Amino acid sequence: MQGCPHAEDPSESRTGLTLMFLALKEMRRAAVRFGLLMASIGLLVFLILFQQTLQSGLITSFVGAIRNQSAPILVYSVDGRRNLQGSVVTPDLQNQIESVPGIAQAGKIGQGTFSVTAGGKLTSTAIIGYEAESLGSPTTLVSGRLARSKGEAVALASSAGDGFALGDTVTVEPGGLALKVVGQAAQIGYQASPTLFTTYPTFEQAVHAANPDARAPLPAVIAVSPVPGITDTGLAARINRSVPDADALTRAQAVASTPGVDQVQQSFRIIFLLFGLVVPLVSGLFFLIVTLQKSSALTLLRAIGAPSSVLVRSLLLQVALVLVVGIGMGIALYAPLASQTIGSIPLSFQTGAVVLWSVLLFGLGLLSALVAVRRVLHIDPIEATTGAGLGR
Amino acid sequence: MTTTASSHRQIAPPALEMTNVRKVYPMGDDEVVALDHATLTLGSDEIVALLGPSGSGKTTLCSIAGGLLTPTAGSVVVGGQDITAYNTKRLAKFRQETVGFVFQSVNLVPFLTARENLLVVNELGRRTGKQQARSRADQLLEELGLSDRRDNLPSQLSGGQRQRVAIGRALMNEPELVLFDEPTSALDTHLGEQVMQLIRSEMKSRGTAAVVVTHDERIVHYTDRTVRITDGVLHA
Repeated sequence: MQGCPHAEDPSESRTGLTLMFLALKEMRRAAVRFGLLMASIGLLVFLILFQQTLQSGLITSFVGAIRNQSAPILVYSVDGRRNLQGSVVTPDLQNQIESVPGIAQAGKIGQGTFSVTAGGKLTSTAIIGYEAESLGSPTTLVSGRLARSKGEAVALASSAGDGFALGDTVTVEPGGLALKVVGQAAQIGYQASPTLFTTYPTFEQAVHAANPDARAPLPAVIAVSPVPGITDTGLAARINRSVPDADALTRAQAVASTPGVDQVQQSFRIIFLLFGLVVPLVSGLFFLIVTLQKSSALTLLRAIGAPSSVLVRSLLLQVALVLVVGIGMGIALYAPLASQTIGSIPLSFQTGAVVLWSVLLFGLGLLSALVAVRRVLHIDPIEATTGAGLGR
Repeated sequence: MTTTASSHRQIAPPALEMTNVRKVYPMGDDEVVALDHATLTLGSDEIVALLGPSGSGKTTLCSIAGGLLTPTAGSVVVGGQDITAYNTKRLAKFRQETVGFVFQSVNLVPFLTARENLLVVNELGRRTGKQQARSRADQLLEELGLSDRRDNLPSQLSGGQRQRVAIGRALMNEPELVLFDEPTSALDTHLGEQVMQLIRSEMKSRGTAAVVVTHDERIVHYTDRTVRITDGVLHA
């Protein structure tokens, strides 16, 4: 043994084994402590993902009808304040809009909230009528077909159990106009109500059925599509420049600027920000406390020749394992719940949100361990001779 | 074995050669001399007691010999390796492979069993395969009378047992030199004597040199030589 030199330096290969040895042994011996941290992170991740889905479901139930319809541009009246219920497009304004160069096709969309008897119960239902199939019909048909004739409607799929199933007939009250459900589409809710998409003439019939004295209803928006070579954003901007009383929005803009949507998103953003801070804070503080508690052991390991890098990587390996297992637990809790419906709000598994939050929380969790890493890097092996450690 | 160890000792360099070693700590505008031109040579299987009162510089000398501290001046050669100018990384590797430590109070990793506290030395230095390392750890624990305690955590061991595990850990990397810093200070007289007997028998059976830092005069009965230190100055 004495003075026997090594044929090669195996330090690199052994570093990985050593850090695995230290990291896993400690986690095994303190299984309850690490398990509780993983469970805490799992619950927080579950709450984040659930809230993300809830936000998406909430917004979809409010403006799914705008998001999942075929018109690329919706032109509101300025006075309508970007709200289907408040916007009224007069014939004069419609003519001004349709005369803007660059429009390939234009069509009226009307919207109203009606009392409808469905499944033996009277419910408030949004009816949206479109003049042209390519400008306002639902794009997320899951069964049946689009409404093409008078008296036909496509219903919100998640309302099927409330008397809006395929083949059901619902009645607009008062007046008794019967509408047959010929198709079902997903995520086409409006104002969190059961929603029916019909042709424009059917929508006009519904208005007259509910109020026989009403004059011909005016459209809420004019749906337009651009000629080839002009973008949706470009045409919307052109309409807004040309027609002062018009407020043209792309589909995405119309969704985002519907009154209430931004407020909902802002509220959730604050919640997400808090959660996004809590997860790394919890893991960061945990590992800082653990590092302080085992400072004597770390000092000893440094004294007997453990490089700082091995101890740091061992710590980071533990952080990574805790985060991966914790995030995994959160996703496992979230997955079955994500396919449920809360009240009238249908939830769905948000793959994008899962990936985004997993990556974000993993990165933030690793960053939060930097304080503990700093403490490890400051260990002086000489402290083993004095019995001192980081905690002193 | 004895013959091999004996012939090995004949050709082996001294376990420790410290020549004119100084360690000075700045203290504001002044400086404190912790070690003053210390010169000490240890044979390859010699056990030396380093005796001195608190603050005399004995731990500083021990730390410099073990590569935990670098000297301000002078040279330090351990097992033929001149470590005087080693940087932090090389000193860590030197500590992994060439010296063994038994400290006064901080000695075992609490989340590792007795056996794993020995195996971690091999994990850091990896001189042998895993199977060999396990055999060596088991053999050391058996020699130290701890076979039935190998799977116990330090918290499940008595003070004397913990100190014996620490001795096993210090021997795990087959060091040139083992440095004991007040190895009996936390033990009662009887246990202290047992531990010193064990240290002597383990060092002598392996032909390994040792420095035992102490302020306890009774320790000198178990060592080959005594070196006294006062105010950083060695007296043979």
